[in-house]
Amino acid sequence: MQYSLTLEDVSKSFGTNIAVNHISAAIPEGHIYGFLGPNGAGKTTTIRMIMSILYPDAGRITVLGGSPERAKDRLGYLPEEKGLYKKMKTAELVSYFGRLKGMKRQVSKDRAKQLLTQFGLGHCIDVRCDALSKGMGQKVQIISTLMHDPELVILDEPFSGLDPINVETVRTVILDLKRAGRTVIFSTHVMEQAEQICDSILLINQGHKVLDGTIEQVKKEGHQTIRLDYEGRPSAMAALPGIVRVNDMGKRAELSLAPDADARAILKRLVSEMNIRTFSINEPSLHEIFVRTVGESPE
Amino acid sequence: MKRAFLVAAREFMENIRTKGFWIGIMMLPLMLVMIATVPLLVEGTREAKRFTVIDRSGWLLPRVMNEVSTNAARFEYVDPASIDPGDLNALVSAGDLFAYFIIGPDPVKSSDGSRYVSNNLTDRDLVTWLGGLVNQEVRRERLRQENLDVAIAEWLSEPITFVGVQISKEGTEEQVRTKDVVRQWTPVVFVYLLWISILINTQMLLTNTIEEKSNKLIEVLLSSISPIALMAGKIMGIAGTGLAVIGAWALMAFGFFVVLPGLLDISLPFDVSSVISDPWFLTSFLVYFILGYLLYAALLVGLGSICNNLKEAQNLMLPIQLVQMIPIFVMIPIGKDPGGTLAQVLSYVPPLTPFVMMNRAAAPPTTMEYVTTTILLLVSIAAALWFAAKIFRIGILLTGKPPGLMEVLRWLRAPVSNNV
Repeated sequence: MQYSLTLEDVSKSFGTNIAVNHISAAIPEGHIYGFLGPNGAGKTTTIRMIMSILYPDAGRITVLGGSPERAKDRLGYLPEEKGLYKKMKTAELVSYFGRLKGMKRQVSKDRAKQLLTQFGLGHCIDVRCDALSKGMGQKVQIISTLMHDPELVILDEPFSGLDPINVETVRTVILDLKRAGRTVIFSTHVMEQAEQICDSILLINQGHKVLDGTIEQVKKEGHQTIRLDYEGRPSAMAALPGIVRVNDMGKRAELSLAPDADARAILKRLVSEMNIRTFSINEPSLHEIFVRTVGESPE
Repeated sequence: MKRAFLVAAREFMENIRTKGFWIGIMMLPLMLVMIATVPLLVEGTREAKRFTVIDRSGWLLPRVMNEVSTNAARFEYVDPASIDPGDLNALVSAGDLFAYFIIGPDPVKSSDGSRYVSNNLTDRDLVTWLGGLVNQEVRRERLRQENLDVAIAEWLSEPITFVGVQISKEGTEEQVRTKDVVRQWTPVVFVYLLWISILINTQMLLTNTIEEKSNKLIEVLLSSISPIALMAGKIMGIAGTGLAVIGAWALMAFGFFVVLPGLLDISLPFDVSSVISDPWFLTSFLVYFILGYLLYAALLVGLGSICNNLKEAQNLMLPIQLVQMIPIFVMIPIGKDPGGTLAQVLSYVPPLTPFVMMNRAAAPPTTMEYVTTTILLLVSIAAALWFAAKIFRIGILLTGKPPGLMEVLRWLRAPVSNNV
């Protein structure tokens, strides 16, 4: 398998704070890869090292077969904190970012117009960035990231702060990139999003790698769960034998089962004690795996 | 480096679209036009000061009457016969009269009974003028009474005048002309322009760096170029803006002092040809602008990179601002004594070198001084840029409270990556 990115025993500290602690991972070419972890886990620091904005204290990073610096022009990066030059015109700004990635002037101008039109912003080509709506601004930022047709796209918390329509736009962009054979890495702490679109994930907590692999591998290693919609008092759930953990969302719950638990017997007990509308026996959700492994990982 | 130029070009284009840039360009011609026209306008709109004189001596006023009536444009004499003496104070209070004089009964003997009544005691024009006329007549009268020859008396009080002479480069004596005086004081004007150009441009760089940080664009930029290239681009872009303003100033000054008088066929009240024809001033100005700008730019871009907003920056700016004020305080003393100890010592203080050396350009420092001060300045610029680069690359990504001095010193010790 070809890898777009490999991290080998990478560490980074800021003073006494160890942000990334001996992390290793390999991201297969053409995959959508999720960097998961709670806030402050070390996701952004890892991404900044891949982008050669920061440098690791130890370990090695290989991006597209070479050093991160050499790969810079072949990477597209959308940071979590993002903005625009307010006084620049939209096409000018997008073209500027293309040129910073080494594109020729005319090529970047043409592609800026083409991408803006493709993203439904054809009417904003000569509009100053401060006149754009928030959603339009976010699209312009994504276009700037994709201007130079990068081979590896890194998106840091791309969904945070987006309304449902823009979440949809970003998701479509990510899936289109995958279809075009590009590798996409994105970081998030929202597990549902990762579960929906990622091929593989890396879960980090407090700078340590907790687990990594394809979604299927990761899920296979977890415990079976019962997912149910219910009404009434939930107190009965936690007390049942064979249930390791309850993730109660109010009207819906995910019960993590012990490896030797009898799911059918548990369901029977639940039905007799609660008003259950729907239920299913599933592989664990990423959320469940996340909460469990992060809870178990060393402090 | 190519990308640093891209950053510079963007900065330049953005700056020349701001109002501040065009205000900066128009500042010099506006100043020139104001200097040339405002005194004339003020003179033109000034009303003649109305005054009257109560002459208790009976002989003094008629003797100066001739002069008094010929100067009516500035000082309008009102016949006291048309005024009730009891109303005089009321007229002064109401502003109908600027002032009135009372000449005592025997001015030859003493000033007893002589008075000048006005509510404006700061404007001394009228009292100086009429006082001069009256005194001259009184002196003549005293001489006559003592039977002294007026001509001899005037010779007795004649002062000695020293004719200004300077030694030329060739060693010959030359009489001092206006243009020499202009030349002597031109550096002061240049120092002021240099000071204001450097101040405005480095301030612009500081604001721009902080804005960039708050724009949240730094990370995207750093994913394409190195922090050093970004910093270099910013410094160059704003230097370009400053040079454009200075170029525009030079063109306009040339137009104002050389082309315009030629077209209108007028001669200026002061001769600036020795300045315009001497490329030394303009070259020095340009070189010292670039060097001074680079030194302060390095300090401010480093400082800007660790601040999240202008308020934080202003607190940290104080020591730099204090140093920046020194050239203004010493501008006149150095202009008077360009080769003095103060001028010589301050020339070797790098943050002051550009201003002080510019200040001394009329009586040029020795070549040795030029060489040593410039080397010292260049070394300081290189060191400042090196430190700034180290601070910038870490500071620019930092959010929250600005780091302490110890923290910044630690950054200075950290190696810069080879990705420059």
